[in-house]
Amino acid sequence: MKAVLSATHWVFVLLMPLLMVGVINRVKSWWAARKGPCLLQFTYDLRRLLGKRTVVSDTATPLFRAGAYIVLLAGFFAAAMAPMLGRFAPLQFSHDFIVVAYTMGLARIALMLSAMDVGSSFEGMGTAREASFSAFAEPALFLLIGTAGVATGLTSFADLIGALRETQHYAIIAAPLVVALLILLQAEAARVPVDDPLTHLELTMIHEVMILDHSGPELAAMQYAAAMKMALYAGLIAALLNPFDPFASPAAAVLASLALILAVAVVVGCIESLTARLPMHWVPRYLLIASAAALASMAVIGIGASV
Amino acid sequence: MNQLILAVVALVSGAVLCLLNMSNRIRAMLGLASQAIALALVWSVAVPVLTGGPEVSGGVAWAYPINAIRVRLDALGAFFLVWSLPMTFLGSVYAVGYLKKYFDGPRHVGVHFALLNMIALSFVLVYTGDEVVSFLFGWEVAALAAWQLVIWDYTNQRVRFAGFNYLVSTHIGLLFLVAALMILYAHGQSWDFAHLGRWLSANHGATRNVVFLLLVTSFGLKSAFFPFHSWLPRAHAAAPAHVSALMSGVIHKAGLYALVRFTLLMGTPDEWMGWFLIAFSVTSALIGGLYTVGQRDLKRLLGYSSTENVGIAGIGFGIGCLGLAWQAPVLVALGFGGGLLHVLNHAFFKCQLFYAAGCVYQVKHVVDMERLGGLFRLMPVTAVCFLIGGVAISALPPFNGFASEFVIYSGLFGNAGATVWAKLALAVVGAALAFVGAVSALSITRAFGVVFLGNARDGSLPPGHEASRWMLVPMGLHALGTVALGVLPAVGFALVIGPVALFMSGVPGSPVVDALAGVAGTLSRIGLISGALVAAVVVVLLVRYARVRKPVSAGATSATWGCGYTLPNARMQYSGASFSSDFSRPFKSIMVLLRRQKAPAGYFPRDSYVVTDCVDAVERRLFNVIDHGDDTAVELSRRLREDDPRVAFAAGLAGVMIIAVLVLLAEGVLQ
Repeated sequence: MKAVLSATHWVFVLLMPLLMVGVINRVKSWWAARKGPCLLQFTYDLRRLLGKRTVVSDTATPLFRAGAYIVLLAGFFAAAMAPMLGRFAPLQFSHDFIVVAYTMGLARIALMLSAMDVGSSFEGMGTAREASFSAFAEPALFLLIGTAGVATGLTSFADLIGALRETQHYAIIAAPLVVALLILLQAEAARVPVDDPLTHLELTMIHEVMILDHSGPELAAMQYAAAMKMALYAGLIAALLNPFDPFASPAAAVLASLALILAVAVVVGCIESLTARLPMHWVPRYLLIASAAALASMAVIGIGASV
Repeated sequence: MNQLILAVVALVSGAVLCLLNMSNRIRAMLGLASQAIALALVWSVAVPVLTGGPEVSGGVAWAYPINAIRVRLDALGAFFLVWSLPMTFLGSVYAVGYLKKYFDGPRHVGVHFALLNMIALSFVLVYTGDEVVSFLFGWEVAALAAWQLVIWDYTNQRVRFAGFNYLVSTHIGLLFLVAALMILYAHGQSWDFAHLGRWLSANHGATRNVVFLLLVTSFGLKSAFFPFHSWLPRAHAAAPAHVSALMSGVIHKAGLYALVRFTLLMGTPDEWMGWFLIAFSVTSALIGGLYTVGQRDLKRLLGYSSTENVGIAGIGFGIGCLGLAWQAPVLVALGFGGGLLHVLNHAFFKCQLFYAAGCVYQVKHVVDMERLGGLFRLMPVTAVCFLIGGVAISALPPFNGFASEFVIYSGLFGNAGATVWAKLALAVVGAALAFVGAVSALSITRAFGVVFLGNARDGSLPPGHEASRWMLVPMGLHALGTVALGVLPAVGFALVIGPVALFMSGVPGSPVVDALAGVAGTLSRIGLISGALVAAVVVVLLVRYARVRKPVSAGATSATWGCGYTLPNARMQYSGASFSSDFSRPFKSIMVLLRRQKAPAGYFPRDSYVVTDCVDAVERRLFNVIDHGDDTAVELSRRLREDDPRVAFAAGLAGVMIIAVLVLLAEGVLQ
């Protein structure tokens, strides 16, 4: 049973990034009344990049190329412990969420250093933004986990996210947490309103500017890792909302998860089509909403237990 | 016991030999040799104690009022001794490389090595002292020796000022410590730690609270907790790199040792003490972390990050105190275990970072990051060591900083709180710690990116080459330790099991072994993951580079893409100040940014500049008060009109009321 679920989990981890990007782009083109690219266009792009040779800046050190693979690998390590199918992850132990958060931190620092490596002022700017926004996003994630941990009394990531629906006041606790996760997804996966993947100026925004000098397989690794990060956050939302236990009713849980992840992609696409990007200096405040939402859930738990 | 005395003798005679009249080179070697002997002797006692052997103790009678000088080496002291001495030795090795250019000059370098011996001596005294006198003696030896080491470059007025600042601060701390010890002596009628401990654990109440606050203030000053940190960045920027490294990584850990020692003596701390320690430490970690973001001097940056890291260790100790107060053995293990492990890990990576900064200084003669750049290709070993230390200090896997913060996080998110609100409060502390981690990742990315990556910013600096082997080897050994303790965190945790067990003995019926084994088990899993991460990265890179060697895909380089701008130059790279400006905007009141600028004017502008500098808001306010305090008082009194009867009446009334309240308090009417 566990082996089957693990295999499904990894299939999700591998395929969802490709599918989510496709769905988001398709949703955006619906809103713009365009036909839009094929659902698998992102996959074709990656395949094309894999066949290309790498061009490296002559300022770059070996760190530049290594960075891309560290980002990708750290993403896979985080994916092993992050729940996607409800209350299940292939690798589960107590406080594994710290490992997840900090391997993603390692990915971030590798990304930022390979951006700084080429000595371009644009990439430096993107790095500075990424670093400061992630500093505001990080507490929100831990507040959210702390909330779920206190509510469920469990300590492993998949348990405390997946078992939240068995607790009292589930709806009141979960609603702010979903909002917080969605904001974190937008910040971490470089989506509107924090960042614009199309990078129409504001000196080319955050994530895209950091990989300006990457090319070939390294660029593919960076782009896939970014999409995977988005899929992981979408997976978290899906696990939080998934009404089925993957061990009791595996098929239902997997299908529900799939539907929820795709629904997240649709929501992200809709937000992206309907709202404008925030001015850069508003982003920290936007990210504080995520922390505030998590704190609100905390207050619910605290008051709920005291009453 | 005898080995300890022999070690003291070796260190003192080594110091004396260093002062004799011979060539500087021989003096240095004598200093190193005596330290190596002392190290071997101390290890022969401390390692058995740490691995579960019996405590070592001894003493000699002494004249009144001291009565006896007592020495006792338990697991806690042994833990600190076991790494403090070797790191001091490595620092002295580094000093040989750092001071090599003075060896053939007229300057007496032996004094410096003698002082390094004194530092090692102070560790032996402080970590084994079992009564107040020898403890304070060691404490003072460390303070004075460190001061003398800081002002190595004493011809520079700024360096003398920094040294003096340190000297004054450390003695203010001493005053608090002496005050606390005098109160204790007045009650316990003994200088013995054991006696003091008996009194402390038996008498809960106001006196104990006052003693606790005095001790925390004193040790906070020693370890540079916020807001007692302002001497630290100055001293670290002024001292030679190995002295900064030893001060930050090793010497000031004595403050944390003393904090833990007195907590141990206290038996069961009150719950508020745990929360107080956590609040105090979180503030340190947050503000220390924020200050690192604005600095342009690499060594000042590292100095502030010490304030941040002692804060992180302090959070661990606070959790441990809560565990003791709540009788929760798991929290005790996680709190004190994580805190002590972080102390050890910090010693490894902080020294390494300071050594790297010292190598940069040795080669380029500046540590101002706005003038550096592109050093990776010039000094790859230094760069890699700095990077490893930087990843570790940001608490990222796979290095050791992650392991200790993981233990502390496990305490915070362990669901072991007494009430729901306590659990939630600990989770909020965890979120604050996450913020600190992200901030230190930011500042280390900034420092490494600006100094080592990109292109050189200032052509007027000497071209230089990689630093001397005397400097690279100690740095490399520290880096090795950082990696090893990251991949094998269970080994690091095995070192702190002894001291933690001392605390667990205070928790009745505690399943010591279970609690510790649980943590060790999780840590070895963390180690496996870190190891797998390292292995996976190495394998993928090997495969990728093997493919790159094929002629088709190799050799494709091009200029960095400038978004269409054709004439970029090195000065246009993103600078440290521009990197931090986005982040620091919301924290303007803490990170005071001084800005001097001259805007370009006219059709052919010449000589325009912008200089920004992040200054310490606390220190500025402190100096402001000292400078203008009396002026302010005079100004205030001038505003009051003396002949106004209402003022006189109000003042008299307030005075009478204060006296009345005091009388009532003394009579026990008011509580």
